[in-house]
Amino acid sequence: MRLLTTIIATAMLTTLTVSSAGGQEANYSRAGADSCLACHEEDSTLALFRGAHAVPTDPNGPFGHGQLQCEACHGPSGDHAGRVRRGQERPSAGALFGSRATTPVDEQNGMCLGCHEADTGFGWHGNDHDINEIACADCHTSHAATDPVLMTSTQPEVCFDCHQQQRTQTLKPYAHPIRQGKMDCSGCHSTHGETSEWQFARQTLNQTCFDCHAEKRGPYLWEHAPVAEDCGNCHDPHGSNYPGMLSMRGPMLCQSCHSQEGHPSVPADADGLPGVAASPYMLGQNCLNCHTQSHGSNHPSGSRLMR
Amino acid sequence: MRRYKLYRVAIATFLLAPVAAFAQVDTSDWKCEYCPFEDGYRAEYEAGAGYVNEDAFRFGNGTGLDEKGTEAHLAGEGRYLKNGTEVTWFAEDLGLDSRVFEFGVGKPGKFGIDLGYRELPYRAFGDTVTPFSGSGDTLSLPGGWVPAATTDTMTGLSSALAPHSIEKDRQILEFGANYLPSSKVRLYADYQRQQREGTNIMTGSTFSQSAYLPRPVDDYTDRFDAGIRYANGPFNMTLAYLGSFYTNDVGSLTWDNPFTPFPGADQGRTALEPDNEFQQFSIAGSYRAQAWDTVVAFSLASGRGEQNASLLPYTINPVLPTLPTPVSSIDGQVDTTNYGLTLTTRPHDRLSVRFSYRYDKRDNKTPINQWTRVITDAFDSGDPEPNIPYSFERSRLNLSGNFRLFDTLTISGGYDRTDYDRDFSEVASQTEDTGWGKLRWRPTPYLEATLKGGASAREVDDYDTDFGLQFGQNPLMRKYNLADRDREFAEVALSASLVNTPLSIGMTYLWAEDDFYNSELGLTEASEDRFTVDFSWAVGERSSIYLTAGSEAIESVQFGSETFAGPMWEASHDDDFSHYGGGFRIAGMSEKLDLTFDYTRSEGETEILFTGQAVAADPLPDLESTMDSLRLELNYNVSERFGINVGARWERFEMEDWGLEGIAADTIPAVLTMGASPYDYDVWVFGIGFTYRVGADSE
Repeated sequence: MRLLTTIIATAMLTTLTVSSAGGQEANYSRAGADSCLACHEEDSTLALFRGAHAVPTDPNGPFGHGQLQCEACHGPSGDHAGRVRRGQERPSAGALFGSRATTPVDEQNGMCLGCHEADTGFGWHGNDHDINEIACADCHTSHAATDPVLMTSTQPEVCFDCHQQQRTQTLKPYAHPIRQGKMDCSGCHSTHGETSEWQFARQTLNQTCFDCHAEKRGPYLWEHAPVAEDCGNCHDPHGSNYPGMLSMRGPMLCQSCHSQEGHPSVPADADGLPGVAASPYMLGQNCLNCHTQSHGSNHPSGSRLMR
Repeated sequence: MRRYKLYRVAIATFLLAPVAAFAQVDTSDWKCEYCPFEDGYRAEYEAGAGYVNEDAFRFGNGTGLDEKGTEAHLAGEGRYLKNGTEVTWFAEDLGLDSRVFEFGVGKPGKFGIDLGYRELPYRAFGDTVTPFSGSGDTLSLPGGWVPAATTDTMTGLSSALAPHSIEKDRQILEFGANYLPSSKVRLYADYQRQQREGTNIMTGSTFSQSAYLPRPVDDYTDRFDAGIRYANGPFNMTLAYLGSFYTNDVGSLTWDNPFTPFPGADQGRTALEPDNEFQQFSIAGSYRAQAWDTVVAFSLASGRGEQNASLLPYTINPVLPTLPTPVSSIDGQVDTTNYGLTLTTRPHDRLSVRFSYRYDKRDNKTPINQWTRVITDAFDSGDPEPNIPYSFERSRLNLSGNFRLFDTLTISGGYDRTDYDRDFSEVASQTEDTGWGKLRWRPTPYLEATLKGGASAREVDDYDTDFGLQFGQNPLMRKYNLADRDREFAEVALSASLVNTPLSIGMTYLWAEDDFYNSELGLTEASEDRFTVDFSWAVGERSSIYLTAGSEAIESVQFGSETFAGPMWEASHDDDFSHYGGGFRIAGMSEKLDLTFDYTRSEGETEILFTGQAVAADPLPDLESTMDSLRLELNYNVSERFGINVGARWERFEMEDWGLEGIAADTIPAVLTMGASPYDYDVWVFGIGFTYRVGADSE
């Protein structure tokens, strides 16, 4: 009973504390968005009304019935919207967004998560973006008809603002069609977080790759062990100097793991060039000239991945 | 019972307190009279035409602009919003092989239905040739073909060669729906079909020779995602289902043998990718407790992949005795288990701690049988061997912490441990320990610098060389993903911007070095250096300039042996890539003109140097590639409704690749290739488009 009393007392006190804090901070403007728009009439602000946040019939949206309009995101801004004495600096709005904003990132993100907790899913809290204090507004543009990070053709450049090395890789000669604007980062990565490494859209790297490359999923009668374990053992999915986005030039990539006596282990040097020996082990598709089923074979005679 | 109810009331009060605080705001006088809500229909339509000045097959990869000549396309987007109903559409490249169309209808906050269709062109080689022809699962040589032992003695080859480009088109159809019965619950269901049609290169081996085959690609994957999300205050949870079903309409490929055949081996036949399916159920969620700002997140997924396609016989060769396969299909089954737990907490306002654990398991339950291989449809191996269903378990443990030493300086550190357990592998058990530290200095919101460094040690319990010996593997070989390895790494990042000028610069540098210290054959060492720099300046409210550059240098060393002995040769790889570029945007010149300019140049170069016994005296030529890409666009708004845009796009790509250069169909005596050439194009695309806008903005 004592324990129960303690719990109830704690809950009540917490409630009073929060309500009290809310009461002190809840200095909202007198007229809501009308207070804001009396001054903020620039195009960049009004662009909000072309986007998903400004739908008055959306009961969950900031402009839905009874919602807090601009202050749903920017927080109580009554002081900011109110009168100030001559010479007095106008207090800032409740919450300002973006990398230069003085509002702490966790407060910024808290405003967004207040509504988008279910959208961002379980993975945001504690993921790498959260730990590194990335603000939602660093990626998302809410005052726009279309948020660039939600468009396939424009999303990668948003990500490349921070992930600059990935931009470099996507410009390589063999890469997914990202620079052509036909594939985006979120096709493979769950940017709001996952407990998987690298925040993959699926549970593992391979399961993510199989979303578009299901033909390589198998299980095959004859598997190639590194394929079954991790596509990244052989491929650089962000881009490569080598065909197939391989991480090393064939046949040397294969020779990093295979050293059977005889043809697999000869050096692929200049003696194998056309006009000399024209080596079948290094030219064309090199090892795949014969072992064409490198991802696995379902042929009864395919144990060497040649059928 | 009463105690239980009281307890629930207390907790509910506790959780709902913040909500209650918001609910106290009286918004009855908030009329939103100045709010320019959209009401009705707005759209922008574009009709455009372009001219491509030369055939540039590879340029068509992703763009659909691979042929010289004119093209026409439509594009646009629109939105209708009235009485709570929203209809949206988006179109891009209609008329090209890269077309996109999306359509959505719904009531925001209540439900939505989406339909999408897009195509993705893959263009590899447009100059390839082959003597093979046919459709479906059979490729034939011309009548009267005279087989020969080598390609240069195939008398009918040159006259039989016909163009056959290597290209595919991926068509993606999507349909999705979501429903929000309340602000806390979201139901969703998505269906997608990806269909591929076209031609790939695969090879058909005849033991000591091989022929490139233009294999048809005709397959599709149906994917279903469905789930329910629930979020209530600090708690959220998602239950989800994933079903992926792959169907290959060409399950095998038979081809005429162009080489002098072994008895009866006039044809070869291979299996292609089998039909398969994967289904997975998952549950994930998180809970935020106010105590220490603690968050617990978890996920649990259980999946099963199955493959039971009918097997081909051991060989198509009628001369060889026909042995029955042990089963007619393999009854393949892979069960996957994935779960993760993450806990973050902030026991002090300067300290945050994160713990995470991740477990992934692939359990291949495919039955093991004995198989007597027929080698390349030529002769019986006579040596039964079992299939090997690979399975593994992987777990990752992470513990890290951040401590804000000063208001401007945060120090972080962490420890990661990754364990592998495998069946049927040289390495049954391996462990990798990683330790790292990080400094983050942020004296103002306008300047941030981070420095991170660490080291990892991967150790294997036992490298079982007997496992590889059964396949003839040299016992000195250490596969790089299974080998002992020490790694050191460091990262530096800097971002800065001016206080009163929207000018910013960002730089990153990464260095890593790997030492495979117990490997005599295979990869023995590797290193990478990556550097990037970005600069942007918003010159005015409507104008901006940017510059970007980056470079990568990846070096590695491997050893090989031609015999069953120690290292005989060494290959040093030096793989470099760099790019630089820049551009500007100017909008609203004279209130009517927008100008956009982008330019990027990238260069790749790989040098591979061989040393050791009996290696060639001459070095290998470098592998090289260069790309210049330029885009210029000019938009002129004739009126609020009408606009004209003209643009030019230039892309030049040059490549030197000894694997492709100078290799015609008959260059390699033992391999009948398709004569693909390295990518080399220099193409301009000129375009003009007309836009017409309707809706609020054009009133």
